[in-house]
Order: sequence, then structure tokens, then C-alpha cells
Amino acid sequence: MNTELLFNGFAILAVLGAVGLVLFRHPMNGAMSLVVTMVALAGLYALLSAKLIFALQLIVYAGAIMSLILFIIMFLNLQEKDLPEESGRWYYLLGGVVVIAPIALFLIKIVKTLPGSEATIVGGGFGGIKEVGLVLFQDWLLPFEIVSILLLIALVGAVVLAGKRRLGK
Amino acid sequence: MAPLALYNSLETYLVIGAMLFGMGIYGMVTRRTLIGMLIAAELILAAASINFMAFNRFTAPDPATGQIFTLFIMAIAAAEAAIGLSITIAVYRHFKSIDAEDTAQLKG
Repeated sequence: MNTELLFNGFAILAVLGAVGLVLFRHPMNGAMSLVVTMVALAGLYALLSAKLIFALQLIVYAGAIMSLILFIIMFLNLQEKDLPEESGRWYYLLGGVVVIAPIALFLIKIVKTLPGSEATIVGGGFGGIKEVGLVLFQDWLLPFEIVSILLLIALVGAVVLAGKRRLGK
Repeated sequence: MAPLALYNSLETYLVIGAMLFGMGIYGMVTRRTLIGMLIAAELILAAASINFMAFNRFTAPDPATGQIFTLFIMAIAAAEAAIGLSITIAVYRHFKSIDAEDTAQLKG
């Protein structure tokens, strides 16, 4: 019963964080609600018994990426007058709900017919560092290295883009 | 057989992922600041990764391939955030604004 309580709490928190992201006007509030969503998703991963991804989600996603985004928002120091006015956003919301609702019902119907959704008992090592690491460094070594090159390129690109001095001075 | 508990069935996780994805798309379309669009893109990536995790756990738990993909999604989200934020800073320096509409002409 404890698990069920935890699952309900994390699921509701994740969806509420996403709703907050959509509804808040200031980017700071949106980023804070995304932090809530990320922490709740980490809890959901833990309930899926993926221990390594749980820790990485907390450290990398909720920790590093979100603090980078929050740092940049604070660095830009946005005031209320800097924000573009979003008139008619409630109409957008209403229109979005009207468009999405039939698609959502249809999707739920499809999801219910998916095969193989019975819960299987997984081994004790599921999601541990050893199992994930073995798969990562045996079967997925080349993509792993390519991702590291991608991160290096992103690093250099960020320095080039953001660190540019003004010309002619 | 007793009905499966909510936390132990694939459908629940898929529905949560779909809700997060839909709100991410909605935020991406309606936000008018560059940073707001970037945050919504992060939400879309997170929704995709919860689908990978749920399918990995419930349908093919033996090789943990879905978790590898979640790791890759995290790395790509980090790269996307770094590049997007530096573009935002460059745009803010040039236009003194983060409104996406002010950047309609990118000449010079």
C-alpha cells in the first residue's frame, strides 16, 4: 500500500508540475515547476526499480540541467515588463483542450489494447549499475562515444555563441 | 487473478508520459519567450524517456536497452540546453529582449 501511495503522489506531482509549466507566465516559475516534474519523474523511475537512472535523473536532470536553466534566467534578470504580453492565452487553452480531448480518448483506447502489459517479475539486478553498465559498454559503446563527442561540440558551441565579444570595440 | 495495481501496469506510465508530452507540445506552441520554449522542449524529452523506462521495465526487462536510451536522452537534453541557452544569451545581447517575435529578422 505504501508503494501505491508513493506512486499516486509522484504521478500527481509530475502532472501538476507540467500544468504549472504551461500556466505560469514568468519563465522562472515555469522552470521551478519543471524541477518539481523532474524530481517526481525520478521517483517514478525508482518505483520502476531502475536504481541507476533514478540517481542520474536526480543528479543530471533535476540538478545540473535545471540549475543551468535557472542560472541563465536569473542572469537575464527578467522583469514583468520584459515579458511579451500573451493576450488571449485562455482562449488558446480552451482551444487546445477541445482539440486534444478526442485524441486523448482515442489514445487511451489504443493503449488499453497493447499486448504484453502484464507485470513481469524482474530479477534482483534489474536497473543496477552493473547491469546497465555492461549493456552500455558492450552493446552501445559506439553511440556512447558519439554522444560524448556531441557533448564536446555543444560545449565548444556554447562558448563560441555566448562568449562572443562585440565587434568594433 | 486480481486486477493489477495502478503502479504496476504499463498503461499508467504511458498515460503519464502522454500527458507530459501533450503539455510540452502545448507549451512549445503557445510560449512566446525563448526560454519558455526551451523549458517546454525539456519537458517533451522527459516524457519520451518515461516511455522508454516503462517499456523497458514491463515488456523487455532483460537487456536494459531502454535505460541506455534514457541515458542518451539525458545527454542530448544537456547539449540542447547548453546550446539553446547560449543562443538565448546571444539574442538577448543583440536585441535586449527574449521575445521570439522580436527576432523576426536575423540580419546582422
